[in-house]
Amino acid sequence: MSVAEPSQRNLARRFTLESLIESIQQMELVQLVSLLTLFLAVIFPFDHWIFIITARVCLFLFLVFPIIIRKPAFWAALALSATVVTILEWATTDNHKYLLLYWLWVMVFCHAAIDPDQKRRVLIFNARFFLCFVFLAAVAQKLSSPSYRSGEMFEFFLYCDPRFTAFGKLVGIDPTVPDAVQKVLDFFKSPFSQVINNDLLLPGTDRARIVALVLTFWDLSLQSLIGVLFLLRRTLTDKIAHFLLLFFVFTTYLPAPVFGFGWILAIMGFTLAKDKFPRIAGAYFVSFFAILLYQLPWREWVLGIKN
Amino acid sequence: MPIVALVIAARQVVLSNYHGLAVWKGGGMGMFASMDGQSNRFAQLFVTQSDGTRQPLTHLLHAQKEAIGNALNYPVRRNFLAVAKSIATIEWASSPDRMPVVLIDSKGEPAGRASESYHMMAPYRPWPRDKKWSGNIQIEYWKMSYNPLTRSCHATLAETFTFTPDEVQQ
Repeated sequence: MSVAEPSQRNLARRFTLESLIESIQQMELVQLVSLLTLFLAVIFPFDHWIFIITARVCLFLFLVFPIIIRKPAFWAALALSATVVTILEWATTDNHKYLLLYWLWVMVFCHAAIDPDQKRRVLIFNARFFLCFVFLAAVAQKLSSPSYRSGEMFEFFLYCDPRFTAFGKLVGIDPTVPDAVQKVLDFFKSPFSQVINNDLLLPGTDRARIVALVLTFWDLSLQSLIGVLFLLRRTLTDKIAHFLLLFFVFTTYLPAPVFGFGWILAIMGFTLAKDKFPRIAGAYFVSFFAILLYQLPWREWVLGIKN
Repeated sequence: MPIVALVIAARQVVLSNYHGLAVWKGGGMGMFASMDGQSNRFAQLFVTQSDGTRQPLTHLLHAQKEAIGNALNYPVRRNFLAVAKSIATIEWASSPDRMPVVLIDSKGEPAGRASESYHMMAPYRPWPRDKKWSGNIQIEYWKMSYNPLTRSCHATLAETFTFTPDEVQQ
């Protein structure tokens, strides 16, 4: 190994990290957020053909005429198709799709503004509002829910939601436990079995109970802190809120595969951080990559399932 | 947009508290806020005859399962009617033999046979257009609750929806 190699590696590392932050800083906020939002709409769209086709057509138009991404009509097409889909399926539309709908309308208003500074203000105001709204509304719903406060929700999910089986294994809950619980619960659902008094003992474990209580405390405290700190609008509290939001995005969307939600929260965090905290903005960029990587079939690897 | 978001969230809270809309849906930002959602709700479907006997529909088509999922998220009559209408587009074939209903104790072990027994009903072919649907469609909407201290799960029949042939073939 030559003497030059380590310093070259350091140079390369510095080049990668610093150039990322530098190139982010050089790009205009509205342009960057527009690109990230278009990517979100195409990669994590509403699950309806109207929106999927609209998003793909918009992507195609952008690739051919890049300037179109600055036109309000471009964003209005996406926002209108999202509105139609949400109205058609309002009761089955996930909360984070509502957030995408709101954000697409924010993009319309942003690009409809004439003054560049006003465009930025539209984005920054709405990013802060929606971050506070999402986290504080979630906290209010959680605090008003007895099944959340008692920890039974996360415990039940560790047993019954297959998305949590791999995560459960990583924290010491054997996959045979949720399997056994689900087999028992099937007795309720089958018309060919009649459960006496409609009561069943679940073959759960103490570990699942402890993990559920930790998850409940972690989730509630983190979300309430993020919501409250962004509400205060001080440099220090913003900085702490960004760190917590990044921690939330990096840790939540690994076990919970709601990638579009993670992506839109990261866009909002990035919008607030871009000009004030360049390094934090860089970290949001890394979180975009992380969310994409979280789609690796790691659950199958953990559970040893071969496709 | 903030005002629209707040109005939609308020509406979701009302619908969730008074009409059973799952907190996961509808714009109230209540994801992972309650056990009460699609994971603890289930439905049992029956075709009932004029003599009071009923047979469970066991092998549902994908579209019917999807409609049930939608109805469980927002368990109001019109959503279950959509399920019933979907059921009535299919002719159902019953197994020749009756299957016993097994009694299950709280530990999940068989504890004998219940008094009733059913034929298994599976989709056979599209319902003939010129033929009137016979029998009511009954949908039982159930909810499970879990007690972490005793590790026991209790199922409660929340509501039974009955749809007449006229309703399902409108």
